Amino acid sequence: MPPKRPAEDAPVASSSKRARGGEDEDFAVESIQNSDDERAAEEEPVPTSILPRGATINITALTRKLAQTKKGPGAIPDPHADLTAYRRQQDALVSYIFRDQDFSFLNLKPDHASRPLWINPEDGHIILEGFSPIAEQAQDFLIAISEPVSRPAFMHEYKLTSYSLYAAVSVGLETNDIIEVLGRLSKVPVPESIVQFIRDCTISYGKVKLVLKHNKYFVESTYADTLQLLLKDNIIRSARVMEGALTASKAPVKGSVVIPGTAKDPEAKQSDADLFTAVVGVDNDEIEEDDETVHSFQIDDGKIDDVKKRCNELDYPMLEEYDFRNDTVNPNLDIDLKPATTIRPYQEKSLSKMFGNGRARSGIIVLPCGAGKTLVGITAACTIKKSCLVLCTSSVSVHQWKQQFMMWSNVTDKQIAVFTSDNKEKFSSESGIIVSTYSMIATTHNRSHETKKMMDFLTSREWGFILLDEVHVVPAAMFRRVVTTVKAHAKLGLTATLVREDDKISDLNYMIGPKLYEANWMDLAAKGHIANVQCAEVWCPMTPEFYREYLKEQSRKRNLLYCMNPGKFQACQFLIKYHEERGDKIIVFSDNVYALEQYARKLGKLYIHGGTPGVERLRILQHFQFHPNVNTIFLSKVGDTSIDLPEATCLIQISAHFGSRRQEAQRLGRILRAKRRNDEGFNAFFYSLVSKDTTEMYYSTKRQQFLIDQGYSFKVITELDGLQALPDLVYRTRDEQIELLQATLQANESAADFGTDVKGSEGDLAGSVTSKSFGGPSTAGYRAAKRATGSLTALSGGQHMSYVEQNRSANKQLARDSAQSRHKLFKKREKQQQQAKKERTAGSKQG
Amino acid sequence: MKAIKGVLLTCDSAVKQLLIMMDERSSGSATFIIQDLDEHHLLIKADEHERVKRELEAELEKNSYTADL
Repeated sequence: MPPKRPAEDAPVASSSKRARGGEDEDFAVESIQNSDDERAAEEEPVPTSILPRGATINITALTRKLAQTKKGPGAIPDPHADLTAYRRQQDALVSYIFRDQDFSFLNLKPDHASRPLWINPEDGHIILEGFSPIAEQAQDFLIAISEPVSRPAFMHEYKLTSYSLYAAVSVGLETNDIIEVLGRLSKVPVPESIVQFIRDCTISYGKVKLVLKHNKYFVESTYADTLQLLLKDNIIRSARVMEGALTASKAPVKGSVVIPGTAKDPEAKQSDADLFTAVVGVDNDEIEEDDETVHSFQIDDGKIDDVKKRCNELDYPMLEEYDFRNDTVNPNLDIDLKPATTIRPYQEKSLSKMFGNGRARSGIIVLPCGAGKTLVGITAACTIKKSCLVLCTSSVSVHQWKQQFMMWSNVTDKQIAVFTSDNKEKFSSESGIIVSTYSMIATTHNRSHETKKMMDFLTSREWGFILLDEVHVVPAAMFRRVVTTVKAHAKLGLTATLVREDDKISDLNYMIGPKLYEANWMDLAAKGHIANVQCAEVWCPMTPEFYREYLKEQSRKRNLLYCMNPGKFQACQFLIKYHEERGDKIIVFSDNVYALEQYARKLGKLYIHGGTPGVERLRILQHFQFHPNVNTIFLSKVGDTSIDLPEATCLIQISAHFGSRRQEAQRLGRILRAKRRNDEGFNAFFYSLVSKDTTEMYYSTKRQQFLIDQGYSFKVITELDGLQALPDLVYRTRDEQIELLQATLQANESAADFGTDVKGSEGDLAGSVTSKSFGGPSTAGYRAAKRATGSLTALSGGQHMSYVEQNRSANKQLARDSAQSRHKLFKKREKQQQQAKKERTAGSKQG
Repeated sequence: MKAIKGVLLTCDSAVKQLLIMMDERSSGSATFIIQDLDEHHLLIKADEHERVKRELEAELEKNSYTADL
């Protein structure tokens, strides 16, 4: 098996380089040789300590680093001519290995060892040595000016983009400071190309503003010529509403704002600022703003997106800031966090990015699942104190948001309303909060009268703040409709995973705003805000029979075959047993409903899928939470979004939605909020069961990429120790396995589909629940008929055939048990009924 | 009967199934398996050895994911 080979390439390259260096020593200068060796010794631990952490680690960082390692000789101050010659020769010898990535012209600074950064002059990638003593400060700085790409334990990779630089400037960093600090942290002089890039990106920022006034959008600037320049562009000109010429008005004055929820707000803000100035080394006074006149023109609501996009292309990104404290037009909403509510340092940090200069800035905040995204959103709403619209993906989360609002803030029932397909409320005060779903707002057809009225209400007014939950799942078109129909001053997007399989992420940049903050998962775990997780990928060998069928099968049934692999059954059973004995609460995920049911029945566990009735779901969840003997539940895709899951400490995944990185991260989020996380040495476990030699291997590796970029490492377990010794191991004999194979082959074709049980309800966002059917209302109201052949006498029992239920559903047992906790009267009656039934069956058995 | 030069292959059961599949798919003279010995062993034609190795490699490569850099 040659999986994950790429990771091995990196060290090979390095060793060949070193060998080469050794060969050509005819005129080697002693000191160079030494320093080269030292360097080798110094660099050595880095790659070796990274490699075991998941062999699939993103190797761009490594290769680039190696590319830079070879700049070795440049480190030595070089007074001799022969040294230069030597260096040239060395360069010539190695440069062909690195081809395009040969940056040997960047010479190391003499004291490079104490500086933590490398900068790639071509694509603006920055490599940070995470083990450097000043790494933490450097990280704070890098987060501000660039976007994190990958953050494993020792090497971090960041990327300078124009958006990230816009964000940096909007936080108050100035161009020269950015370049200066970069230069101070970098091992090599900051490449000219990068300096130019930073200048280009930051020079025009903030010149153009998008302002919402009296429910109309205006493009505003203090520079009249800039506006003229923009108006020369066709797209922008066509979007302009000709009501008057350029208007001029007074520019607003700014102040500072205090984020609620922090006991010592001013000090905290101060320390944050200190940190920045410490890194930056220059006092960053707020940007001078004079009381000068601003010029503006109005643009069409419907074309707002095009204009924004076009402005970005023209390098005049529009600044969207909301000066909410000086907004006297919109009524205030009197809400505040409850006094007992405290927000965590990283939540505060993210909010300080948003309210950096006393105004609300639009943008996206990225926090891991379970790290309190909701509270960040609520705190932001409480800071702005204007009417607020919250949009989320499903009707379940709508109610969760409302609940959270009630829990953390002093908002009253009158002020908060829910707008879903079953629930159309308005707040009764003049300002308030409305929680709804994206699709409720975005669908344009088939509206009921009430919904239409509600929509008119939403579109007619000006919103102070719009909160967008799970912002990464919203399709661009839907988003555009939301943004254009609802007029809001500030937008905040919240998400845990800013990845999409269709790579439409960059669209969010101009539709909402730049990424304001992205938390480091590993940091949060180290500080105890989220649980430490051990990830493992368990390779389950396919039995020969299953593999043969797998190879023959070309259709969708292949999925089913690798899900139902007896090896996987056994691994699953083993892991459940092992962790139940340790006292863990276990959730087993399976996207494939057929497999889910088979597993749960065989192993005698409770399960929930889309077809499970609501009452039963609640009963099962309650048992899982409180019953000491129920430590495992099986969940289908419903567990991803539609259920408010209790916490668990161990997660086993037996089948998943192909290569969806987001789903993997979301599932991991289920165990990140474990309450026991602060216990000494506590670990949560995340297992992914994969059938060997099948396409599942491919998908599994792909799914892990996001988490690996966050610094998680996946251990590969090729063999579970003690599996064969398990006393009641399922499918131990070949006969049993073949029986299972036959059952699997006979299963319906549709059984192989993933997530078929979850039908999106009206108002749920497409793609968030079932990306196969895209949440469309189900058309198949009837169950497909089952067909079987057999003689009538045999089927009716005439040939002494009797039916026995082999794999009983634990769900049914539970239903029976819980029936006994009913009222005495009902209980008595049921008992009598059952007694009668029992007697009947007992009688028939004897007879 | 003509003698055929063979190579003994030791592989795990999954790879063996894969080889058998490849053998079944190829027709006539392209078949390479001489004898299916047991769960872990196959006897294949010696001159096909290199080609089989290559094809098997390609087949297995399909299941591994490489991050695009």
